[in-house]
Amino acid sequence: MIAIRPFTEEWTGAVRDFNWRIASNGFLFPGQAAANHFIAVDGDAVRGGYILRHQQFWFRGEPRDVAHYRLPLSEGIVDKAYVSLGMQLLRHALKQQPMLYGLGMGGVDKALPRMLKAMGWGLWEVPFLFKVNRAAAFLRNIQPLRKTALRRVAMDLAAYSGLGWAGLRALQRPLHGVSAGGVVNSFDGWADEVWRSSSPAYGAVAERDAETLNAFYGEQNAIRLKVGSAGWAIVLDTQMHGDKYFGDMRVGSVADCLAAPPDAPQVIGAAVRFLEQRGVDLIVSNQLHAAWVAALRGSGFRVGPSNFVFAASKKLLELIPEAAEVHMNRGDGDGPIHL
Amino acid sequence: MSVLEQVRTAASDILQIAPEKITEASTPEQIESWDSVQHLNLILALETQFGVEFEPEEIEQMKSIGKIATVVEAKIG
Repeated sequence: MIAIRPFTEEWTGAVRDFNWRIASNGFLFPGQAAANHFIAVDGDAVRGGYILRHQQFWFRGEPRDVAHYRLPLSEGIVDKAYVSLGMQLLRHALKQQPMLYGLGMGGVDKALPRMLKAMGWGLWEVPFLFKVNRAAAFLRNIQPLRKTALRRVAMDLAAYSGLGWAGLRALQRPLHGVSAGGVVNSFDGWADEVWRSSSPAYGAVAERDAETLNAFYGEQNAIRLKVGSAGWAIVLDTQMHGDKYFGDMRVGSVADCLAAPPDAPQVIGAAVRFLEQRGVDLIVSNQLHAAWVAALRGSGFRVGPSNFVFAASKKLLELIPEAAEVHMNRGDGDGPIHL
Repeated sequence: MSVLEQVRTAASDILQIAPEKITEASTPEQIESWDSVQHLNLILALETQFGVEFEPEEIEQMKSIGKIATVVEAKIG
């Protein structure tokens, strides 16, 4: 008989054994006990688990408790005797907190988003936008475009001949009159003011006051950009090595940001100029809110295929009028991983 | 139609398998298309059909067509 319970110290060995059994799947459950980590126990064995990350969200200025449904794992992925466990975990999580969301998940066609959809959750692909800064590197490395040998050869030729650069520049509008933001070491009173003044404008947004941001980004290798009094951005500058999407490119990303929606172009413009001046090959961003998508497009970004999915439980869905009014990006959920 | 027959019919629709190939003893291990997502779809379909919502402990017992029917029968009294 399976019982779902908090992960306490005495189950550490059983969680390790569980991870060994499901290792071929590519995901592992965190090995350290924590009160918000739940495990599915079957006798002496652990057969699955999930994590709840409790957060405060604001809906047009009204705070509500919400939780991120993280890393649900079930032995059902390697043993069909446990096919029901995924649903048990989800129902258990909904009893802990009916206002749940999921983020990322690898695309709407994956098992978890399909399960969530079947259970009446709302699902949206968070738009992925990109802007090429160095065309030759982009054309040589971008993996989804290089699926066939013929395409690979054509893109290498375009990269070396300069034809690719001409083509890409025709598709992108350059930035004019945009000043770069200033790098800061931490968020402070100014960030609280940005939060206080901008958050009521969003249909839904996770808390982003100075204390929350410093706790979340304190140990991460992220660059904090303050853009005047308008807002801020978290940007990353990462040298990839054999990445399945980006090859060996140097990828800049606008992982997180905040400003009142009308000021989004100013913040995006500053973040993009900053990353371009650092010499990244490509700049990417996932943004759900319409104002941030428009700001990126206005800065010359193009929309690409997205496997970054936002899912909202039925209860959470009741508070979300339109997905385009939800401020959600790579700073949400697990934060800017894989970037 | 008995509860068992209704469960077999629902499973046939969702798993895309001829009804005669689904027996009381059928389990996910025996039917390739019976994965976690289709298991969930089957349970949700039965919840709609019978106007009930199963508890996690009840879902855990649903390891074969016959056991699903037993849980449904107990639930609807």
